[in-house]
Amino acid sequence: MKVRIRSVHGKNNIKRKPSERIFDFFNAFIMIVWGLISIYPFWYILVMSFNTGADAAAGPIWLFPRVFTLENYAFVFQYDRLQSAFIVTTLRCIIGPVLSVFVTMLAAYALSKRFLLGRKTLLFFFMMPMFIGGTIISNYVVIAKLGLLNNFLVYVLPGAFGFFAMIIMRTHIEQLPEELHESATIDGAGYVRIFFQIILPLSMPVIAAFSFFAVVGNWLDYYTNLLYVTDRNLSTLQFVLYEIINRAEASSLIDFTKTTDAAQRRLMSMANNTVPTPEVIKMTVMVVVTFPLLFIYPFFQKYFVKGMLTGAVKA
Amino acid sequence: MITANRKMQSITLSQKKRRSIKGQNTYVLYLFLVPAIVLTLIFAYLPMFSNYIAFLDYDFNKGWFGFGSKFVGLDNFKKFLNDPKFYTLIGRTLLYSTTMMIATFPAPLILALMLNELRGDRFKKIVQTTSYIPHFVSWVTVAGLFYMFLTVDATGIVNNIRQLFDPDATRISYMQDAKNFLPVLLISEIWKETGWGTILYLAALTGIDPQQYEAAQVDGASRFQRLLYITLPGLVPTMCILLIFSLSGLLATNFDQVFNMQNKMIRLDTDTIGVYTYYQGLVSGQYSYSAAVGLFQGIISFILIMLTNATTKRLSNVGII
Repeated sequence: MKVRIRSVHGKNNIKRKPSERIFDFFNAFIMIVWGLISIYPFWYILVMSFNTGADAAAGPIWLFPRVFTLENYAFVFQYDRLQSAFIVTTLRCIIGPVLSVFVTMLAAYALSKRFLLGRKTLLFFFMMPMFIGGTIISNYVVIAKLGLLNNFLVYVLPGAFGFFAMIIMRTHIEQLPEELHESATIDGAGYVRIFFQIILPLSMPVIAAFSFFAVVGNWLDYYTNLLYVTDRNLSTLQFVLYEIINRAEASSLIDFTKTTDAAQRRLMSMANNTVPTPEVIKMTVMVVVTFPLLFIYPFFQKYFVKGMLTGAVKA
Repeated sequence: MITANRKMQSITLSQKKRRSIKGQNTYVLYLFLVPAIVLTLIFAYLPMFSNYIAFLDYDFNKGWFGFGSKFVGLDNFKKFLNDPKFYTLIGRTLLYSTTMMIATFPAPLILALMLNELRGDRFKKIVQTTSYIPHFVSWVTVAGLFYMFLTVDATGIVNNIRQLFDPDATRISYMQDAKNFLPVLLISEIWKETGWGTILYLAALTGIDPQQYEAAQVDGASRFQRLLYITLPGLVPTMCILLIFSLSGLLATNFDQVFNMQNKMIRLDTDTIGVYTYYQGLVSGQYSYSAAVGLFQGIISFILIMLTNATTKRLSNVGII
């Protein structure tokens, strides 16, 4: 099923009244403006990240870089914290969703069996925390007492099971033809085998949608980092971006003289008058942190729309 | 005859569903549930029960979940209620969240209806895809963008545009004035989430029977009448569900959003309960006190969600529980 907005009016234009034409024109115009507003900020930071800092500070830039340079990226990519944050974020974007799919799918499969004793009770058990949960403080205390502060596991464990995702997956599993299950049973397959060889392969569209959401969630999350992780080696991309935007981190990034390479680069760019300012550094980092997700999102669109629909139909 | 047959089929099917695999114990299925149960117990139920520290004079170093700490009853709640900040905080949080709800709830509905009226599937698809994009960036980035566009510097687009029309206009630093905070919250929320919010409405629109539109057209209903009497009623269940969810957050502002949009100059004038709890508890280390503040907020949210659920269930038979 695709979310295609069905056209509710006939295609022929001859029948349209003048008032309808005016309406259609303004409607289309507003939609175009809305689309442009949605993407212009991203275009703007991209343009600024390719512009020299000194020039960007001199006057407004609207649509294209005025003095083109790649120097900003050269500086940003040499920043060691950004490199380690990239590794940490990529790792959690792989481990988190895989773990999550497993835990949630297993539970969804078990709960799709109507004969399971205590099924209602278990559902209630899983649903309760949606309404009464811990507060920011009680969560912190639990995480701290479990020894998960400054631990990579804090990124992947607490969110591994999600009630909503489980319900969507269960709905999907219930819609699979029962005959598959029966013939597999006759062939001597047990629950474990059926799960891995029949249920999982047949649930790939839902799993793809769910994994995509999990990757997005992991990529965008900085809250976990802010609350539970102070170890700078375990920082995530969003958190590094947060620091660069909010503190003097940007200037320290420009001012590194730790390696001779970096010092040389700085001298060179000083000669060319292309030393980045904190402003353009911020934007370059923003591009680096934001754009990867924007590029993979259109490819997953058909999956997540489908995934959302499975849930919506149920609700 | 055909219906009878179908009934038979569905009966045998449901009977089959109830039967477990012969010779195999269902304990395997319980094993499948173990990871989910353990994770829920640890990361949902433990924090739920450790809300208990709101009634203690909690000392972080004294044992698991404050077994060694002193029980003080409702003292922490009294402290919060007597705090002169209490009314300002509650008032501000309510002001922010109600304004946000009123302004942001209809936005996706309107956008979905406008998209629905567009001609040309390809054009629709493109607008849809672009309008989802802002959903895929973090609040850190959104705050960064807003700061950049609202500064006095050359990157301050808002000031640049103002000066295009009036070269003598003085450049204003918008983010340093607490008065501008609420509009900024509104605009950023609408910019970021409106497009994404249309998904469920668009899905609901595909579920409306096209024959209704055809019949209405034959009966001479105008485009606006079709919208009013067919499309809108078709969206009511979706609206109700979304309304329940948004009402439950009436006393809770989006922590990510508020926290990132703040800066040192306006922080004290823009704190909401959520952010206040964070600063009091985790930055200043007053665990019990902020646990009480958080619990207070949680209880009110819970009551609100139950009330709205009951109301919408009575009015339109739609509910989430």
